[in-house]
Amino acid sequence: MLKFLLLAFRNVFRNRRRTVMTLLMVGGGVAGLLLVGGFFAFMFRGLRESTIRNGLGHIQIFNAEHFRRDEVHVLDAGISDWQRVAANVRSAEHVRGVAPRIEFYGMLSNGVKSSVFMGSAVDPEAERAMSFSPRLASGRDLAESASGEIEALVGTGVARSMSVKVGDGLTILAVTADGALNGIDVQVVGIVNTGFKDLDDRYLRITLPSAQRLLQSDRVTNLVVGLDKTENTDAVAAAFTPRLRGLSQEMTMKKWIDLAAYYKQVRTLFSGIFLFLGIIVFFMVLMASVNTLLMAMMERTREIGTMLAMGTPRPWIVALFMLEATITGILGAVVGLVGGNLIGVALNASGLHLPPPPGLSVEMAFRVLHVPALMIVASVMVVVSLALASILPAVRASRLQIAEALAHV
Amino acid sequence: MKRTDALVNVEEVSRRFALDHSAVTALDCLTLAIDRGEFLTISGPSGSGKSTLLNLIGCIDKPTNGRILIEGVDTSRLSASQTSALRREKIGFVFQTFNLIPVFTAAENVEYPLLVQGISNAERRRRVAEALENVGLSARANHRPDLLSGGERQRVAIARAIVHRPALILADEPTANLDTRNATQLIELMRDLNRTLGLTFVFSTHDQRLLEHTPRIVRLTDGRIESDTSTEIASHAQVFAASVS
Repeated sequence: MLKFLLLAFRNVFRNRRRTVMTLLMVGGGVAGLLLVGGFFAFMFRGLRESTIRNGLGHIQIFNAEHFRRDEVHVLDAGISDWQRVAANVRSAEHVRGVAPRIEFYGMLSNGVKSSVFMGSAVDPEAERAMSFSPRLASGRDLAESASGEIEALVGTGVARSMSVKVGDGLTILAVTADGALNGIDVQVVGIVNTGFKDLDDRYLRITLPSAQRLLQSDRVTNLVVGLDKTENTDAVAAAFTPRLRGLSQEMTMKKWIDLAAYYKQVRTLFSGIFLFLGIIVFFMVLMASVNTLLMAMMERTREIGTMLAMGTPRPWIVALFMLEATITGILGAVVGLVGGNLIGVALNASGLHLPPPPGLSVEMAFRVLHVPALMIVASVMVVVSLALASILPAVRASRLQIAEALAHV
Repeated sequence: MKRTDALVNVEEVSRRFALDHSAVTALDCLTLAIDRGEFLTISGPSGSGKSTLLNLIGCIDKPTNGRILIEGVDTSRLSASQTSALRREKIGFVFQTFNLIPVFTAAENVEYPLLVQGISNAERRRRVAEALENVGLSARANHRPDLLSGGERQRVAIARAIVHRPALILADEPTANLDTRNATQLIELMRDLNRTLGLTFVFSTHDQRLLEHTPRIVRLTDGRIESDTSTEIASHAQVFAASVS
């Protein structure tokens, strides 16, 4: 019914000023959702990548016992034959590198004051190969094979509370794998800003051999695998499964999403906020459109009466109004998509930064991602909203008494 | 008086409208028969029931009492969709204020009743061209109503009313919004279509210019038929025949 579609299309532009206002309202809703959603998507992506690059990696491999029971002593559920495991997974496609890690804890002392630390022992070269470099506030990263002094990186909070700077010494105390207390002296070569204040207040990083010496063990806690792209995580994890069979210890692996509790919390929170915004926009468009469409119906009462008098089936009148609303919704969505994306491009080009959010200590860049799925959802949402809004005016129009409608002034 | 061969039979029809605390009788037990090919005027002062009668004949209103038959079909027994189909196929409407669809061109307005009937594109084009030619508006086919004069708009409305070849064309005060020249031209056009195409025209008016061209005039007063020239002629003929014999 090309003519019917033509009639609906022309009716949309019958009152141009009102149509422009409606399109701006609908388009504004879509653009708003694109901007907010695009910013959230950027935030999620940034948080995801920073979480991964801060050391989480894309996949972590553990001794299966690690998740079955609490360790009595440090590393008693660690990976013993970790070089072989690392070699098995390193050859898989998309793997950029494999880094052994030891997670431990203990006490730090500057001779005057002591403090608890959360330690991470790494192979600096393997970490750097995967771009897992710590964010240094001052100093330098750990050297691969330290000779002489044992090198350490500490968080900004640790440096402040222990009153140490690059070049100063600290003593680390920890319980060994046998349950004995052991200590080593380290030299601070760098101060790290992880971006998370709570972590900065406890952060300590030393080399893997130093930690093994401190803990009196040649085991590691886990192997951290870095990939070329985060999107390949699932495929690589599937490829790892056969490579982790038939080893002296039963192995298990965790993908980054399983370990990124903070990321998941943030994402859930902001997804909820976005859903709430979406509902508000949906009902805003719905209510405003009902009003506009009712006005349009009232103005066209005599015309509808004429159409009914000429034998137009009443369902056609309903369809005509719904079609007009749907066309308005589609045009509004197009306006919103174009407007939202252009504003997004402009904002991205402006280099805008936001102040550090709670729990973070660095400014956050303001960027808007262009997310196709979001564009589709926002567009469909406003079109559905307009179509729903047209039901009441459409049904009212179709139920007009012809004689009364023809006498309408 | 019911005539089985009549196109329209209005049988003892009354129409009352309820107001807040009272009721107004617009038509009071009215009976009327309209033949095929007639050119009938319903006249009378404002409030006499002209428009109400046209609305009832056009099936866009229902009588309080009585019944109306079109081509022998009792319209009061039809469902809403059957009534709609009857209007679509059998009746053409011409309104005082033209009532054209403003976003359609003249040709598209004329095409609309055919569109509603589901007639094919080629046939629609042919009939629209023919209807516009009948009303002398072929050259204005692609103009929208706001670019046409009042007389031209009403001619488009007539083309729209005749394009689907209805059995009956109802026109409610068709010349009320036209100047004398346009009104006269319109009356002549309708009369011409009545004669050449055999179309049945029924219209309401109190315009004397129109009455002069009308062979049959039904005068209404207070919802009743005050006079009907066809019965007067018939009775005069009977008197004449009796006196001759």
